Amino acid sequence: MFRPYYTPVWFNGWDIVFEGIIVLIALLIAAYSWKAYKLNKENRFAYFSLALLLIALGLGLKIITGSITYFGPARDAALETLRPLAGEHLEFTHLLYRTGFFLQMVPVLGALLLIFFVSQKPRDRLHKYYELSQIALFVYLILLISVVSNFKYFVFYLTSAVLLGLITLNYYKNYLNSNQNPNAFRVMSAFLIMLFANIFFIFVFLVENFYVIAEVLLLVGFLVLLYTYYKITRIKNTPLKK
Amino acid sequence: MSTRRSRLELIFDILLAIQNRGGQIKPTHLMYKSNLSHKLLNSYLDELIQKELVKVEEEFLKKRKATSKTVVITDKGLNFLAEFRRMREFTDAFGL
Repeated sequence: MFRPYYTPVWFNGWDIVFEGIIVLIALLIAAYSWKAYKLNKENRFAYFSLALLLIALGLGLKIITGSITYFGPARDAALETLRPLAGEHLEFTHLLYRTGFFLQMVPVLGALLLIFFVSQKPRDRLHKYYELSQIALFVYLILLISVVSNFKYFVFYLTSAVLLGLITLNYYKNYLNSNQNPNAFRVMSAFLIMLFANIFFIFVFLVENFYVIAEVLLLVGFLVLLYTYYKITRIKNTPLKK
Repeated sequence: MSTRRSRLELIFDILLAIQNRGGQIKPTHLMYKSNLSHKLLNSYLDELIQKELVKVEEEFLKKRKATSKTVVITDKGLNFLAEFRRMREFTDAFGL
């Protein structure tokens, strides 16, 4: 079995299963957000739905390339298909792993940026630190572009961690503003867990088992989102005095 | 200061007022409970009747020799209320 960078061999395949579950959860919540958009025609629901679709797309592409690189017969078949185009000296697994990583990176970063903007309440725009946080974010992204030319895998996880940190902060404010709504707390916790997952991803080059911890945490984060979704969709129609 | 209610929130308030009165209410009471003008309430009621979320039942009162109207919420209206509550909880939870 092929050994990808910094990932324990025994975990190959399990990460695909974990990510498959995450894709299903993301699609489920995206579908509900789209349903909400159809009901009230407010764009923020459509953007949130799009963000979750992008996460599902990014992870879906990673699953496809991961499946090919992990399992020999699929890898050989893909190699034979690409050989006429890429020549005899194709470093196939390396190229495919990089391609999969890039295809995951673009939609996931786009999705996180979209969630950050959607979770930013309009009233926050009046806050004096709003402009500062926006400028800080864009300065970081500009610095990132300059670093990306000497691309390192952890830049993606570092960027994701920065965005997830800002998203968690938005959801913490949302939790306080929503009279400490338990579902708002669950959403905040989910993004906090995802933030920890990304921090572990950054340091995978030090300890390869961090990859396992990160994947488990990522799954737990999405399972918390699934539980929140379950709690929301189980709300019964009881008379409620306003 | 409270913000202006959206069209959907107004519909929710109308249906909620009916539900809180046991599923049926007199139009005058509904006007007060939903905090709408007579003209605006009628336009919303027409829309709700058209969408089968509510229905109007008329009863002839022999003593007063006049008909009395009652607005009744339908099963479809109750389902809409439940769906709106879930959507509002989704909005609050995900900070949308």
